[in-house]
Formats: sequence, C-alpha cells, structure tokens
Amino acid sequence: MRASERSGRASSALVLYAVILVAFEIFLLTVAVEAFQADDERLAWATATVSVVVAGSAAVLHRVLRR
Amino acid sequence: MTDHVEQGRQPIWRRDFPYEAAGEDEITRREFARYLVAGAGVMAAGNVGLAIWTQLRSINTGEPRAIVALADVPIGDTHLFRYPTDRDPAVLLRVADREAVAFSQKCTHLGCVVFYQPDEDRWHCPCHEGNFDTRTGQAVSGPPTRPLGRIDLEIRDDDTIWALGAHP
Repeated sequence: MRASERSGRASSALVLYAVILVAFEIFLLTVAVEAFQADDERLAWATATVSVVVAGSAAVLHRVLRR
Repeated sequence: MTDHVEQGRQPIWRRDFPYEAAGEDEITRREFARYLVAGAGVMAAGNVGLAIWTQLRSINTGEPRAIVALADVPIGDTHLFRYPTDRDPAVLLRVADREAVAFSQKCTHLGCVVFYQPDEDRWHCPCHEGNFDTRTGQAVSGPPTRPLGRIDLEIRDDDTIWALGAHP
C-alpha cells in the first residue's frame, strides 16, 4: 500500500472516529445538564471525567495519526 | 522533507512556487478532523464547567415562613403558594387533621405544573402523563424519574402551617 493511500485511510478513519466522538460528547453534555438540574454532583463529575478522558484520547490519536 | 517544513503558517514550497489552485480554500479532511477534535475539547471543557457549577452553586432552600392557616385548607384540599422564592410555584395538600405535605409544582420531567388528583390520590402532570406519590412525591409512573421537590412543613400551635425549607 502506498504511503499516500495509507495516509488517506488514516485521516478518513480519524474523521469517522471524531464524528462518533463528538456525538458521544453531545450525549455526555446532556447527561451533565440533567445532573445539574437534579443537583447530582457525583453524576456531574463522573460525566466530566469521562468527557475529558474521551476528548484527551481523541487529541492524542489525532497527533499520532497526523505524523 | 523540506516540503513539509513550515515557516510560520506557510510551507517553504509555497514560497518558492506561489501558485493558486481551484478549491484550495476548501476544508481538507485533516482540518475537518482537527475541528471535530477541537469541538470535542470545547464540549469536555463545558462538561467540567457544568460539574464545577453544580458543585459550587448555592440552592436557595428558603427561610421559614407562615404559609396558610390550617382552618383555611379543608382535609383533602390543596393550597397554592410560592416557595422558596416568588418564582417557585408550590402546592400544599392537607392529608389529615394535623398533617400536610407540600411540593414544588414543577414536574421533574420538563417543568410543567403538577396538580393533585383526589380521585386517583396522586400528583399528576398533564403534559406527559407523569404521576407522583401523594405523600412522598416519588415518581410512580410516566416519564419522570426524579421525585418532586419537597418542602418541609410544620403545623404550629397557633394552627398555622409553616414552610421550613425546600429540597430541590
């Protein structure tokens, strides 16, 4: 497989992954709003933690695939 | 490899060969992925902000104050009032001679106004058919999952019903 083909596939995979990730982040945001309304601090922090971990891992993956 | 070395924002090859191509201003797949990852980061930051706000906000539980005279509310009847602030509709139900319960009138599903149904003995939300237990305010059927906001009451010696505080 040529390098340009591999690079194209990698960026396509990254875009697909990022779209799924953003959808998941939107879901997490709705959970956080629900936790805010219910004054559920535990759920709010758990949601924030998952959200940060997911976004952070996406940023790392983005850096790795960009090389 | 010098093709990819950037000085500032412009690659070196572009300085040497300054040509323009059709569609050059269109967004690339890589840029789109970068924007998506950045968007995810912004939403993660929003999530953290919401968590901090949830942790730090002070919920007004209300000051103790007289609501209504016991004699003005027959047994099985309700009395509407506002508590803890004038923007918070609440409802009181006298369930026995010297026993009353009070809840926020905001349905915990989407905030519609709940009312008492004597024939069914329950709090009912007409918007989405949500129902709550009369005495505890727990959700019993329909879309709501959280109980109604409860208001602590006390019937004092002068036969006045007092609200002591709200639990959102």
